[in-house]
Amino acid sequence: MAVRGQVNGCRTLGVTGPPGAGKSSLINALVQEMLPHYPRTAILTVDPSSPISGGAVLGDRVRMAEHSANPNVFIRSLATRGHLGGVTRMTRSVMDLLAAGDMDLVIVETVGTGQSEVEVAELTNVKIVVNAPGLGDEMQAIKAGVLEIADILVVNKSDLPDAARTAAHLNAMLHHRGHDEHRSVVCVSTVTRDGLKALADAIEIKFAQLAADSTLAVPRTASARLLLARAVADRAEDMIARTVDPRIDVLVEDIAAGLLSRQDGARTAIGLLGELRPVSNARD
Amino acid sequence: MQDNAPNPRVLLTKSFIDSHDRAIATIALALRDAAMEVVLIDYEQPEDVVTVALQEDVDIIGLSFMSGGQVETTQKIVAELKRRGVDDLPLVVGGVIRPFDVPPLEEAGVREIFRGGAPLADVVATFQRLAKAYRGYA
Repeated sequence: MAVRGQVNGCRTLGVTGPPGAGKSSLINALVQEMLPHYPRTAILTVDPSSPISGGAVLGDRVRMAEHSANPNVFIRSLATRGHLGGVTRMTRSVMDLLAAGDMDLVIVETVGTGQSEVEVAELTNVKIVVNAPGLGDEMQAIKAGVLEIADILVVNKSDLPDAARTAAHLNAMLHHRGHDEHRSVVCVSTVTRDGLKALADAIEIKFAQLAADSTLAVPRTASARLLLARAVADRAEDMIARTVDPRIDVLVEDIAAGLLSRQDGARTAIGLLGELRPVSNARD
Repeated sequence: MQDNAPNPRVLLTKSFIDSHDRAIATIALALRDAAMEVVLIDYEQPEDVVTVALQEDVDIIGLSFMSGGQVETTQKIVAELKRRGVDDLPLVVGGVIRPFDVPPLEEAGVREIFRGGAPLADVVATFQRLAKAYRGYA
């Protein structure tokens, strides 16, 4: 199914950060702040699937109960189903559907697992990275990864004692990056609601800086190429893992026996992909 | 043996007033370990349960009661399921279910009642069976 990106300019916001940083609670509080401007809001929350059973406990919604009664707030919990990068392989498609469904704002909350959940950067217009006090020092702040993709850095739980120090570390990191660095650190607390207005305003400014044109919700060509590459990799993985085909079996056995390198095996397998018939049944 | 059915999606829920979450957490983990995707919420109004079930496209709803409201809440949820045209979505109930709750719950259309001491394996198997039947895989 092809869904054309909405031309009305559905805004998309990515929220990422380590586990327990308070992403779900922050989104819950932030949505209250933003609803007047974005009456139709969708929230996609991603939680990890169990690598052992494939099952998942999707608990982010627990923090968002107050929006359950509002028919204009759509929340959907997604399980990663083995996909890395902090989102699910179908997140982009779900976002396209929501945009086509006339949503004003789509918020994507990634799984909370650390330093490389950067795929959300390709999916959303504005990215905020949520940090909790006491989760590291300057060394953590200068590492590559999730902090780099942030448009706005948030220190959550600013009612806790260590918050000012964490904010100082992040500010120091930004300072080291030089004069081209225009990003800001915002301290918020969902308990006292301090800083929520400032954060909503900062997001608004970032949205305003984006070209207010039709390209907003539509993937640009460069990222469309990347998304295509990723979709191909996903499909190929499925086909190799699930197809029953003697030629693949031979490759697998040779690799297991040490007769064939994985790279050579991969080259041969790619040549076979067009001829395989997948036995796909799982939910995408 | 693998079958064609996708892994069930389940909504487990209790009232936000009821802080007894050991039971619902135990069931959630058991279902997760049986490869199901479990959405958890604490509902404020019984009707919210149906909204969430529709948004999350679940195959079955499990209600946990550790204090009051077993019959009244269930009846309200059943009525809302009917109103929104999904009265075939299976509903099961567990927790502190007193003997006199059972007839009205069954009359309301609850598909299964798990009282204290119900073997976990039975609970998992029942969720599995009802969810797959709802999707037409059984």
